[in-house]
Amino acid sequence: MALKQISSNKCFGGLQKVFEHDSVELNCKMKFAVYLPPKAETGKCPALYWLSGLTCTEQNFISKSGYHQSASEHGLVVIAPDTSPHCFLIGGCNIKGEDESWDFGTGAGFYVDATEDPWKTNYRMYSYVTEELPQLINANFPVDPQRMSIFGHSMGGHGALICALKNPGKYKSVSAFAPICNPVLCPWGKKAFSGYLGTDQSKWKAYDATHLVKSYPGSQLDILIDQGKDDQFLLDGQLLPDNFIAACTEKKIPVVFRLQEGYDHSYYFIATFITDHIRHHAKYLNA
Amino acid sequence: MEEESGEELGLDRSTPKDFHFYHMDLYDSEDRLHLFPEENTRMRKVVQAEMANESRGAGDGKAQRDLQEEVDELVHLYGLEDDHELGDEFVDENIPRTGVSEYPPYMMKRRDPAREQRDWRLSGEAAEAEDLGFGGWGSAGQCQDLREAYRYTHGRASEEYECYVIPEEEDEEEAADVFCVTCKTPIRAFQKVFDEHKEHEVIPLNEALESAKDEIHKNMYKLEKQIIEMENFANHLEEVFITVEENFGKQEQNFESHYNEILETLAQKYEEKIQALGEKKKEKLEALYGQLVSCGENLDTCKELMETIEEMCHEEKVDFIKDAVAMADRLGKFLKTKTDVEISAQPEFEDQTLDFSDVEQLMGSINTIPATGSSVRVCWSLYSDDTVESYQLSYRPVQDSSPGTDQAEFTVTVKETYCSVTNLVPNTQYEFWVTAHNRAGPSPSSERAVYMTAPSPPIIKTKEIRSCEEAVLICWESGNLNPVDSYTVELTQAESPEASGVTESVVGIPTCESVVQLQPGRSYIIYVRALNMGGPSVRSEPATVHTIGSYFRLNKDTCHPWLTISEDGLTAVRSERRTPARELSPSDTHFTRCVAVMGNLIPVRGHHYWEVEVDEHLDYRVGVAFADVRKQEDLGANCLSWCMRHTFASSRHKYEFLHNRTTPDIRITVPPKKIGILLDYEHSKLSFFNVDLSQHLYTFSCQLHEFVHPCFSLEKPGCLKVHNGISMPKHVTFY
Repeated sequence: MALKQISSNKCFGGLQKVFEHDSVELNCKMKFAVYLPPKAETGKCPALYWLSGLTCTEQNFISKSGYHQSASEHGLVVIAPDTSPHCFLIGGCNIKGEDESWDFGTGAGFYVDATEDPWKTNYRMYSYVTEELPQLINANFPVDPQRMSIFGHSMGGHGALICALKNPGKYKSVSAFAPICNPVLCPWGKKAFSGYLGTDQSKWKAYDATHLVKSYPGSQLDILIDQGKDDQFLLDGQLLPDNFIAACTEKKIPVVFRLQEGYDHSYYFIATFITDHIRHHAKYLNA
Repeated sequence: MEEESGEELGLDRSTPKDFHFYHMDLYDSEDRLHLFPEENTRMRKVVQAEMANESRGAGDGKAQRDLQEEVDELVHLYGLEDDHELGDEFVDENIPRTGVSEYPPYMMKRRDPAREQRDWRLSGEAAEAEDLGFGGWGSAGQCQDLREAYRYTHGRASEEYECYVIPEEEDEEEAADVFCVTCKTPIRAFQKVFDEHKEHEVIPLNEALESAKDEIHKNMYKLEKQIIEMENFANHLEEVFITVEENFGKQEQNFESHYNEILETLAQKYEEKIQALGEKKKEKLEALYGQLVSCGENLDTCKELMETIEEMCHEEKVDFIKDAVAMADRLGKFLKTKTDVEISAQPEFEDQTLDFSDVEQLMGSINTIPATGSSVRVCWSLYSDDTVESYQLSYRPVQDSSPGTDQAEFTVTVKETYCSVTNLVPNTQYEFWVTAHNRAGPSPSSERAVYMTAPSPPIIKTKEIRSCEEAVLICWESGNLNPVDSYTVELTQAESPEASGVTESVVGIPTCESVVQLQPGRSYIIYVRALNMGGPSVRSEPATVHTIGSYFRLNKDTCHPWLTISEDGLTAVRSERRTPARELSPSDTHFTRCVAVMGNLIPVRGHHYWEVEVDEHLDYRVGVAFADVRKQEDLGANCLSWCMRHTFASSRHKYEFLHNRTTPDIRITVPPKKIGILLDYEHSKLSFFNVDLSQHLYTFSCQLHEFVHPCFSLEKPGCLKVHNGISMPKHVTFY
């Protein structure tokens, strides 16, 4: 798989790069950002995957979250794929309805492998994130394939949670900012799943963190979730963290959920707590 | 190509300039170049949509009008932000959402990536002379614009930016801005291409600066470490220095007293012998004198007789015959008595033998130091030639004040001029006086001398030892009824008793407690001695300290009446029954409202870690508080305490992290059974962990201007157990 470097900037002693490649799962060109800490010059580092929210590209996270200092200090390679790939627009991909709403279609892949036409050819972000991207990273960058963690924001938080819950043992830790915890019950989720997965709700549950927890058999996960209290989407009932917490309490999955007074859904909120999250992951990746 | 796109979009030329002015962010100019293509894409979309809409001939006048507004809005928005995440802008809800929906998908032209590539080349090696004359964007001019824009938008004095007004190319020819690694000199960019540096490795000047700085920092770090090491070593040397002085003092004293003893014994012997000689002399002289006297008498008698006879010869014949017969008788008798002409006393004296055996004995015993609390060696001497048969030493403890009770007086009779008195009370002053005795009776008593017995050894309160990784706080009982002058603490490392000839001493401690600096991760054995004028006591019983983690015990003086603390000071139990509140003294060392108890943490900064074992269904508070926290309030209800509070009600666990009555909103799904608490004075933090899961729960940032102590409170009957002396686990070190 040929990687083409798009940009490289030095940051906190390491390098923030952006690459492009042809994705097999998504059938188009994909971009991703990768941060190589100073430690990567001399050895393999653990990998931390960031999944962005609705309408975001790889640029939002690397420009606004201020994660570089923490990643540099802890020696973590941080990878952020473009969640709204322009490639969703190419390749005959003039999909009707794709740009009709900002929360469905372009920029709202919901990290599933779509089964319905016309989405199923290109909208396979779940496989991309869990299979194709890690293989690509492992082959081309100084990362340790055994040490991998995942986190994200909003739709990306949902993505991180389901990737971890559907692959016990694959990720050493998981965390999320204002995740969509129970998509099956919220307007966003219902819209996306019915479009991508069809009307059979049993197929939806396979991509719902709250449901996945109920049947999670696997190894100990330590989940950190930050949620802004003044987040409009929380008040609109799109995020539903209480359901997730209740399920985790029931199944004794360790979660620390922090409701942060005064914070909203924006990258300002992410920037405030990103250091705590990186440290949370470093604790398990550098153990 | 740029020209093409320029023609397509009337907006193209003008809008970039607008962007310069409104961009108030921190990016370099190079980055900004990167962002333009995307924004232009969006802009293109807007205009395209306009055209598309017009071409579609949308009869929906409303849509057109909306679109126009939306376009304006978007221009405004994109001018202000480079924000692509429409999620952020939901507050201005309708515009972006519906705006996007109007656009037909736009075909990305291939040239965009190409243009991006060119832009990147520009941003990358700005130093290279190539591509500066690059057309389309007119980068030189562009850069110039940007720099002017900086001047305007940042409102700085133009003097600072004078140099940037000069076009780029000239700048680069004058300043050195790359670094030749091979020659280790800075050179100008073009030199790389043309001069002797052609074959050499070149890196940008910034990189070279960075690596040079790194080197220096590393060395600085090493130097700092060395400084700390040497300072520590100097401190250690000082301590050993003091110990040497002390030991010297002891040896000196000891030698002096023994030497004096020997000298006195010798002097004594001399006196005795001289005395004996003197007496011998007297005897002889007396004998001789006696002889002399009798000789004299004899002579007198002879002379008398001679005179009588001479007188007789001058008398009448008749008288002469009478006297002659009498004289003849007398003479006859006189001459019969023997005259003793033997000398009764010989002039020579015998050779004196000197007996030094007891001096030898004394010399042999010179190594023992008579430092005990219950015996004293008293010496005295005689200042006259009188005969002495024995001495009587009397002593009694010195009375301070009350003349009432008369202390018992003791007496010892000896022949020597020194005596060891035993069975004395330690740390007491005694007065001694001596009387000499002979046949005639006792002498008047000597002046009273005062000696002080050495003190008894102190007793270390082992249950109250508190320690951390860097120090230990020991306290002890004096072991003496009366005050002593000072105390000495001695410590040795436990690992290598043979090798540890080194005992560190801390001298001159005025009170019955001391904080001693230690090394982390070791074991120490500690002794204490008391010191007074009479000398040091023997060592106390030892106590052992391990410098792993922090050790403390729960302080019974602070605990609420409903709590019972175990013997080992580590478990607190609240029983079902409520014992009636005892009458507590007005001093508020006990918690009265919160059923709590405080631990005694060593007052040393640095970091401390301990664990608390709790029951899942227990209602408790664990945390820290200042020593003077108000005991009438709950833990966490004021600004002098911080705690984690767990309440279990209706099968639900609720967790709060309280300080000054406020808590963040936190949910924890797995209730911890063992809570790890990290107190970090250095970073002003107090952190809580679920030990079994290595899970971090919460961290307070707290201003710790004074020392704090661990606190534990039980809100319902139950018990909690403190675990001490635990080294910080790895997961805790991340915090």
